Amino acid sequence: MIIRREWKRSRKSLLVWSLILAGLIIWLLSIFPQFAEQQESMDQLFAAYPDSMKDMFKMNELSLGTLIGFYGVEVYMMTTLLGSIYAAILASNMLAKEESEKTIEFLLAKPVSRTEIVAQKAAVVILNLFILNAAAAGASLIGFQFAKGYDVPYKIFAFLTIGAFLLHLTFAALAYLLSAIMRKTRNTLAISIAVVIIAYFFNMMSSLSEKIEALKYASPFYYADAAAIVNEKQLDPLSVLVMLAVCSLCFFAAFWVYKRKDISV
Amino acid sequence: MEIVELHQLTKSYRRNRGIADVSFSIEEGEIFGFIGPNGAGKSTTIRTLLNFIYPTSGSASIFGKDIVRESKEIRERVGYLPSEVHYYDDMRVIDLLTYSGRFHKSFKEERLKQLASRLDLHLDRKIEDLSFGNRKKTGIVQALLHEPDLIILDEPTSGLDPLMQHHFFDLLHEEQKRGATVFFSSHILSEVQKLCDRVAIIKEGQLMKVETIESLTKNKVKNITVVVDGAESVSIELAGIISCEAKASELKILYSGDIQLLLKELSGLPLKDVLIEEPSLEEVFMHYYES
Repeated sequence: MIIRREWKRSRKSLLVWSLILAGLIIWLLSIFPQFAEQQESMDQLFAAYPDSMKDMFKMNELSLGTLIGFYGVEVYMMTTLLGSIYAAILASNMLAKEESEKTIEFLLAKPVSRTEIVAQKAAVVILNLFILNAAAAGASLIGFQFAKGYDVPYKIFAFLTIGAFLLHLTFAALAYLLSAIMRKTRNTLAISIAVVIIAYFFNMMSSLSEKIEALKYASPFYYADAAAIVNEKQLDPLSVLVMLAVCSLCFFAAFWVYKRKDISV
Repeated sequence: MEIVELHQLTKSYRRNRGIADVSFSIEEGEIFGFIGPNGAGKSTTIRTLLNFIYPTSGSASIFGKDIVRESKEIRERVGYLPSEVHYYDDMRVIDLLTYSGRFHKSFKEERLKQLASRLDLHLDRKIEDLSFGNRKKTGIVQALLHEPDLIILDEPTSGLDPLMQHHFFDLLHEEQKRGATVFFSSHILSEVQKLCDRVAIIKEGQLMKVETIESLTKNKVKNITVVVDGAESVSIELAGIISCEAKASELKILYSGDIQLLLKELSGLPLKDVLIEEPSLEEVFMHYYES
């Protein structure tokens, strides 16, 4: 019941986000061939960039001249950042919206347990993120067709796709927990998006100075880092473990909090 | 059989007043009133019974089932109308009612249509376009839709015009005949008197009394305002007068007794105007229940 209702309610924004993300990916990949042709001049251009900037965008770890390097720097940044923001918006609304709009008085009077409410709404979050990632992967596969003559390392691509999905789930789980704790969507939404953006900056800044390098461990982006996946040709099992642990912890905590919460509007 | 039982049910908040040691029970098939001024703890009691909030101490059961542990089973057979009706704005009335009904095993579409036409509710309207009264009607249909055994109504008549109120009371009597028990909260004494078999009176989180309507009406209290020249010098001697205050040309009397005797007494005075009205709950509490 609740799954169907939430699916209906969220599908319009899912469609919009998927289309925008897929369009961006295809557009970015369509300029890759030109980009690669002028690689020599590009390399000179990038050489002039300050090192710190290259560090921040991982340009010295990934070669923009290879398809997967380009994908890792340009496209992957888009999918991880935009997808994480979508995940944060979606999940932070899920539970708190009912309280914020006082419809929870209706829902709680129905014969449905709080555990069922939390579980069904979480299922919709996971389903939507899966679809968004599938759309992004589909768009990438279409986009790769522009790069005729370049090898597509499908295995690395698969790892990147899984990494992005796990990253989205992690941010969704964090926002979902907030959504279970708080009562007003306005606050939940603001905090969730702030978490994504701050985490993104943590990860970027951490490569600038040794002093703040430890910051990166606090950022989920670090655990799905494109450079690491492309260069190692695998998804670091420890990173996967960290993301899965954060996800399950947050979802579990959301159940725990919501079950015990006094809900009066 | 007792449908609802409360045993020293307590909900305390850090800042706001909750309820303390509330105990009463509701018999099967009766219309039970729950009356008290705003903020007395009526909604808190109802929300605790439905497990929206957890009791601090004490316990309660509905259909013999514990309100915390077996809340889901209880809610299968309960219909609830909140004091403020808030529904999903993107839905139409029909969508909301179908969504609501499908949670219950006993949902029938004919009953939906029947109830809607009884209350003159248009099913195709969007929730966000509904007026306050129509929202309330949607809430009433939603609460009665699945033929619940217990109907909990929190201030159901606010926003309904007198004619609709009349239809609604008829509907509740029919539900009672079907075998349903009704728990009806209100801050309007006359409304409860009209409808209920028994009432519980709550004030500042404390249960004051549980009474039958009979004994309430036997001691019918009226507020009488008389405009008469030289009010201060007028004196009325009658057995049922609880208080009598004179101010300029006005005489305010709180009276509980035979209305015939009072009218006879008043007719002897050179009256300019007279107003006989229901006392506010506060006045009833002050002069009757605490004396």
